[in-house]
Amino acid sequence: MSASGPARVCVVGIGNVLLGDDGFGPLVVEMFRSIYECDSKVEIRDLGTPGLDIAPYLYDADLVVLVDAVHAAADPGTLCIYCEDDLLSRRTQLRLTAHDPGVQQSLAQLRLAGHGPSELVIVGVVPESCGLGEGVSECVVKTCLDAVNRIARLLTERSIGCRRRDSPSPPNLWWLTGNCLAARPSHRASVEHPVSADA
Amino acid sequence: MTRVSIDPVTRIEGHLRIDVEVEGGSVQKAWASCTMWRGIETILRGRDAREGWVFAQRFCGVCTTVHAIASVRAVEDALALEIPANAQYIRNLILIAHALHDHIVHFYHLSILDWVDITTIPKADAARAATLADGFSAWPGNSRHKLEQVQTKVQGLIGSGQLGIFSHGYWGHPAMHLSPEMNLLFFAHYLEALDYQRKACQVVGILGGKTPHIQNMAVGGVMNAINLNSLATMNMDRLGTLQSIIEDLIPFVEQTYFVDTCLLAASYPEWFKYGRGVANYLAVPDLPLDAKATSFDLPGGVILNGNLGSVEPIQHWRDEKFRAAVAEDVTHAWYEGTGALPPWKGKTIPDYTDFQEGAKYTWVKAPRYNGHPMQVGPLANVLVGYESGHPLTRKWTDAAFTKISSVHGMKVTPEDMQSTMGRYLARGIRSAMLSDLALKHWQLLTANILTGDDTTYNLPQFPNHEISGVGMHEAPRGALSHWVVVEKGSFTNYQAVVPTTWNASPRDEKGVPGPYESSLIANPVAEPEKPLEVLRTVHSFDPCMACSCHTMDASGHEFAQVKVL
Repeated sequence: MSASGPARVCVVGIGNVLLGDDGFGPLVVEMFRSIYECDSKVEIRDLGTPGLDIAPYLYDADLVVLVDAVHAAADPGTLCIYCEDDLLSRRTQLRLTAHDPGVQQSLAQLRLAGHGPSELVIVGVVPESCGLGEGVSECVVKTCLDAVNRIARLLTERSIGCRRRDSPSPPNLWWLTGNCLAARPSHRASVEHPVSADA
Repeated sequence: MTRVSIDPVTRIEGHLRIDVEVEGGSVQKAWASCTMWRGIETILRGRDAREGWVFAQRFCGVCTTVHAIASVRAVEDALALEIPANAQYIRNLILIAHALHDHIVHFYHLSILDWVDITTIPKADAARAATLADGFSAWPGNSRHKLEQVQTKVQGLIGSGQLGIFSHGYWGHPAMHLSPEMNLLFFAHYLEALDYQRKACQVVGILGGKTPHIQNMAVGGVMNAINLNSLATMNMDRLGTLQSIIEDLIPFVEQTYFVDTCLLAASYPEWFKYGRGVANYLAVPDLPLDAKATSFDLPGGVILNGNLGSVEPIQHWRDEKFRAAVAEDVTHAWYEGTGALPPWKGKTIPDYTDFQEGAKYTWVKAPRYNGHPMQVGPLANVLVGYESGHPLTRKWTDAAFTKISSVHGMKVTPEDMQSTMGRYLARGIRSAMLSDLALKHWQLLTANILTGDDTTYNLPQFPNHEISGVGMHEAPRGALSHWVVVEKGSFTNYQAVVPTTWNASPRDEKGVPGPYESSLIANPVAEPEKPLEVLRTVHSFDPCMACSCHTMDASGHEFAQVKVL
C-alpha cells in the first residue's frame, strides 16, 4: 500500500431492502454516505442481492468493505467483522443462504484470474427477522451507527480519506417510507431519521 | 426405484429443490420446488404507479433492469402512453447489455463445470490445445502462452489441495468426456469471461446512471438528458464510449462464447436426445424500433406440441390473444385455493404445507397459456424466430449448425434443438444476435439524436377510473410480463409472471407437469449419489429463483445436499 492509501476502494451494501433486516447492508451504506465524506476513489454502492454480479465491484480493488446480514451464533443485532480468510475457511463456513453463487465464488474466480481485491473486510449484523416488507428491527437499527463508524475507522486506518460531514446530508431510504413502514409490527423501529439519534 | 432429492440445486440464482425417481439408470418422475416465498408483489399494492419500477427492480438482485423496464411498460400500456424513440433505443441498449452479461455468466460461471472436468487440465498439452483452438476461432486469447498460464494456475490450485469453490464438482464422473485440451480451452474462457461480464455491466451503468438498480427509468420514457453541446449529458463523447465498449464485447461473444456453445454441442451430441420436456414455446416481441412500438427486432410467437412448422405470431404488445391466454394455477403451489386465475385478478395468499408431492409442494405458481404449460427462454426465442423466417435468427442458427457439422460432422436440425443441448446452443445463438443488435441500436440512437431529436420523456396523466395494463419483455430467461391494475394513479393489483415461473412451474389442476419436471423424464443418471446429468438439464434453463432472502450464514450448517432415499 502506498503512502497515499489504496487506489480503488469499494464500500458495498448487500441485501434485499424489501426483506426486513436483510436490508442492513443497503441501509448502512446509505447512512455512511450521509454522515461521512470520502475521497473520490471510494465507491459507495448499494448492490442489492447481486449473486455473481458482485464480481465487477471486487475486480482489481485494493480494499472492499462488504456490509451484509450474517447468520452467526450470536444475538440479533450483534455486529460481526470478518476478513476474507473467515469467509473462505471451512471452519467458519460463512456463506450466503439464498444466492449461492455469490461472494465466495466471485472471489475465488477473480483470485484465479489474477483480479481479486487486495483486501476484503466484511461488516455484518445478525438479523432478527427477514420478513417481506416488515422494515428493520430495532436491535439492527441500533447497530447501524456502530457499523457506519466502523467502516470509517477501517478506511482511516488505511490512510483513505474519510471525514465526518459538518452536517449530515439526508439519507435516501426510499424503501422505508409509505405503506412499508405503516405495515410493520409494533416491535419494529422507526428508521426514518436514524441519523439524528446520534447527532 | 431410487429417490434422489437435490436441495438446494447449486450454481443457480436462488433456492430450488429437485426430486427425481430413478429406475434403470434414468429418471421416471420429477418434481421442482421453489423453497423460498414468492409474493413480493404484495408490497406494490397502494403505491404510486410512477414509482412501481423502483420497487420492482428489487424483486431479484440479478435481473434488476428487466423488472424495472417491464414495470414501466405495464403502466404505459395501461395509459396507452407512447414513449419517445430515444427512450426506446436507450431501454433497448440496456436490455441487450444486460442479456449479454447474463448469458455469458450463465454459460461460463453457472454451467460449464457440469461439462468440463478441471482436474484433467494439468494433463493437457497446451500447444495442442492452441492448435485445436486455432481451427475453431480467431480469438487471440487462445495462444499457447495464454493457455499455459491458465494451466499453471489450475495446477497451483489442485496442488494446494484446496479446491475451494471447485471442491463440489463431480470430477471424474463417467458423463464427463472432454479431452484435457478441450477442458483447458473452456476453462481459459471461463476466466476471460470475467472481463467481458464487466464490460456489459459498464454499458448498463453508463445509460442507467448506476448498476445494479438503474436510475434513469420513468413511466413515459427515460430520464437521460440529451444535449450534444453539454459535458454533463448524453453527448457524442459518451456515445463514443458506449460504442467502444460494445465493439470490445462483440468479438468475445461471437468468437468465444458462440463458438464454445457450438463446440460443447459437437462434443456432447448425445445431449440433443435428452431434456425435450414441454414442447410448447412462448416468446414475446421485444426491442421496439419506433416510438409507437409497431415493429420489433425480436419476434414473438407461440408454438404448440412441438409443431415447429406453425408459429402463431404475437405481433405487438397489445396482442389481445396473449392477454386472454395467460392464467396462473395454484393447485400445487403454497397459495390458498385451487385452479387458475388471470394475472389481473391474481391473488397471492400463502398457504404453506410441507413438501407434499400429491398436493402442494412449491412457492411457484403454474402459469398456463390457454391451459398449456409453456417453455420460455432463448430456445423459445430462437425457435419462434427461425420458424417464422426471421433473418437474423436464421443467420446465426445456420452459422451454429454449420460450425457443429464442421467440427463433428453431425447435422443438427431445429427439431434437435428441442433438448438440453438445444437450450445451451440457443443461448449462444441469441447472444450472437444480440451483439449484432447492440451495434444496430447504438446506431439508431445516435442517428436519431443527430436529427436534433432530444426528447426522452412524455408526461403520464392518470385518470381516476380503474385501468389495467401488461408490460412485456423477452428477458434473458424468457418471456416476462408484469400485469398491473391502477386506480387514481396507485396500484390496486400487481402480478409478475416471470420466466422461471413458466419453466419451474409445478403440476396444474389437471396434473400436467411444468417444463423442468417434464424435461427430466428419461434423463440419464449413471450414479444416483452424483446426479450430474440432472444438473445439466436443470441448468440448461438458467434457473433464477431469486426475489429471495439473501444473508450470509456463519453457523456452519451443512449446505449443498444430495439425498438418496
